[in-house]
Amino acid sequence: MQRKLANVNIWTVSAMAIIAALFLPNITIVTGLFIPSNENWEHMKEFVLWSFVKNSLILVVATAGATIFIGLSLAWLIAQYQFPFRRFFKWALILPLSIPPFIGAYTYHGIFNYTGVIQNTLRDRFGMELDPVYFDIMNLPGAVFIYTVFLYPYVYTITQVFLSQQSASLIESTRLLGKGPWRTFFQVVLPISRISIIAGASLVILEVLNDYGVVKYYGIQTFTTAIFQSWFGLGDIETSIKLAASLMGFVILILLIEKILRGRRQYSYSSTKVRPLPLIPLTGWKAFAAAAYCLSILAVGFFIPVAQLIDWTILTFGTIPLEEFMSYIRNSVFVAGFSAATIIVFALIVGNFARLVQGRLAKLLPKLTVLGYSIPGAVIAVAVVTAFVALDEFLAPLYRMAGMNTTLVLSVSIILLITAYIIRFFAIGYSSIETGYDKIGTDFQDASRLLGAGLTRTFFKVDMPMMKGAIISGFILVFVDVLKEIPLTLILRPFNFDTLSTKAFQYASDEKIMEASQSSLLIIGISALAIVIFYKFLEKEMD
Amino acid sequence: MFVSIENLNFSYPNTKVPALDNFSLQIKKGEVISILGRSGSGKSTVLRLLAGLEKPANGKVVIQDQVLFDDRTFVQPEKRGIGMVFQDYALFPHLTVADNILFGLFRMKRAAKRIRLQEVLELVELQGYEKRYPHQLSGGQQQRVAIARALAPNPHLLLLDEPFSNLDAELQEKIRKELRDILKKANITSIFVTHDEKDAHILADRIVKIKNGRTDFIGRPCDLLDVYRQEKQNIPAVSEEKELSYT
Repeated sequence: MQRKLANVNIWTVSAMAIIAALFLPNITIVTGLFIPSNENWEHMKEFVLWSFVKNSLILVVATAGATIFIGLSLAWLIAQYQFPFRRFFKWALILPLSIPPFIGAYTYHGIFNYTGVIQNTLRDRFGMELDPVYFDIMNLPGAVFIYTVFLYPYVYTITQVFLSQQSASLIESTRLLGKGPWRTFFQVVLPISRISIIAGASLVILEVLNDYGVVKYYGIQTFTTAIFQSWFGLGDIETSIKLAASLMGFVILILLIEKILRGRRQYSYSSTKVRPLPLIPLTGWKAFAAAAYCLSILAVGFFIPVAQLIDWTILTFGTIPLEEFMSYIRNSVFVAGFSAATIIVFALIVGNFARLVQGRLAKLLPKLTVLGYSIPGAVIAVAVVTAFVALDEFLAPLYRMAGMNTTLVLSVSIILLITAYIIRFFAIGYSSIETGYDKIGTDFQDASRLLGAGLTRTFFKVDMPMMKGAIISGFILVFVDVLKEIPLTLILRPFNFDTLSTKAFQYASDEKIMEASQSSLLIIGISALAIVIFYKFLEKEMD
Repeated sequence: MFVSIENLNFSYPNTKVPALDNFSLQIKKGEVISILGRSGSGKSTVLRLLAGLEKPANGKVVIQDQVLFDDRTFVQPEKRGIGMVFQDYALFPHLTVADNILFGLFRMKRAAKRIRLQEVLELVELQGYEKRYPHQLSGGQQQRVAIARALAPNPHLLLLDEPFSNLDAELQEKIRKELRDILKKANITSIFVTHDEKDAHILADRIVKIKNGRTDFIGRPCDLLDVYRQEKQNIPAVSEEKELSYT
């Protein structure tokens, strides 16, 4: 430990600084629990808090159930059976992930509402005038539907990869013992894929708790909307902090439950090569049904909303001045690119520290930074603003010296937004970099040092070039996430600073659904491209 | 003595049994030492401690009158002037053969680098392979690049970790002889670790046998044979012999 620490020197210092900077804002939230409660909080607690909690719980539980059902059934079909277009579905079924739920939400609202394509067709073609209530999706079940069709890929991908890696003998022996496919599914497949299902479902739950766009647009009161309401509606940041702290407590509870459910079996890999599962060919109506099932999910989760968005884009093309549109693209690319690059640099430093340092406590530190991804955007927004306002107060004398007559400098700048992105998405970049470090191991580093290169030279000459893949994929993942992000961007952006996603959200909120389609399509296009590239890259790596 | 190792002690974190228990060894310049032992005996630990990749609990390491380790000193691996050939060679996959070998020569002038590159390539008989990448070479060639890379900066001491374990049996025989020639031609003090007694007998001037982190035997290869002969006469030491010959 002593030697290793003496060794890391500059790396230790910068890694510690990064970890502290990423983690400390969250501490401000915890302090919120100890602020004496004011009238607003008492009022909320007495009259509305319970309904927020109830709504959030319903959304979480129903969405988790539905995504597990769809994700697992698709994963099982793809991993076990051969049917028409299976190879296409295998990767295409991830595509719904490229549509941010809030875009899906307003698109489906546009499809279903009174002037939407469905009711119009029924009226004009068939002369049917049905009660619009049947088509109302701006409610809890509607939100669950939106979350499910756009978030199920989390469960699907993790479970599918897991099932494909399972040894064939396990499932074949069940077969040979005379169990039919249904019994195999319930008695073997379901229990063994428990871990991956839980992992996927907890990602879905965290996304649902983080979401602001869908519930805001559909007018559903949840924890997240309550935080923003008391903040902007009542101007009461203390109550927001209290709400945020409660929500964080809830998230930590979920993470703990996940840990317990996963038990000690965190690593299901065995080093020996497993024989991959041979696919069972489906024939006749069964093959048709399997393909139809996959296609219908894919249609609802991707093709239909994209087709609708393309239709709207064609209708409104040219109504948004190109100049203006280009500025949204520039802003989006700037914040996403800058945040992603910063995150990767930070992740490289922290990751290098994590593998050089010995001792359990020191190894634990980098894990703290990963928490950020579990913390909902609303909580991070509150935390970052609180921290930045405090920082501005601290720096106020400096501002005066510089001749500025304002006390708020950092907290109204773009730095605020980028800091929030970095805290929120650090884990995404870090896990990619960490995998990269794990893969190259320490042998090359040892070899380099024995050839006379110090740690820093080794880092640039050996580690970095060998981790090109991890660096690129980490960058892409963060970039796409920032591009799609909505609550942080909406709330923390500087005045008059619009990105593709904030503009899409605003147009939709102003009931200019069609105008929102152009930005939305661009976001979806870039995300889908990244997903395809990433998937192909991963597949090549696995071979 | 050229290399002097005194009373080294070391345990890996979270273990109770010491990996190395009071290990001492004196090496003359130009000598080839073989450290022999089964896996987990602590033989590779000796190399890692000498290289500075791990820190001993106590003891002393001196090479050519320079103290590399004692109570007050710990010289970082990059400052030790020790070359090492890793078990899996650890050739940088993103660099060509030439760039791998030149990696340790970054402080040299350009012309000097070029000359040195040709020298070591000639030594390991790999001229003409400069532009290849490691994955385009056979196992034996990769090993020779690893040796060339380790020798290029002119280290005081060369360490080889299980140099034959990654080669198939047929190749092993041939490479053993090649390696002996290379080491003798380079006239370099070297220590290599192996579990295969044949390697030790063919290559080494002296053999150090390690068992459970302790020195079991030090002497010339022929002395080791005497020990076995005696053991055989005294007790039916069949198990002991099995333990030693893994062929």
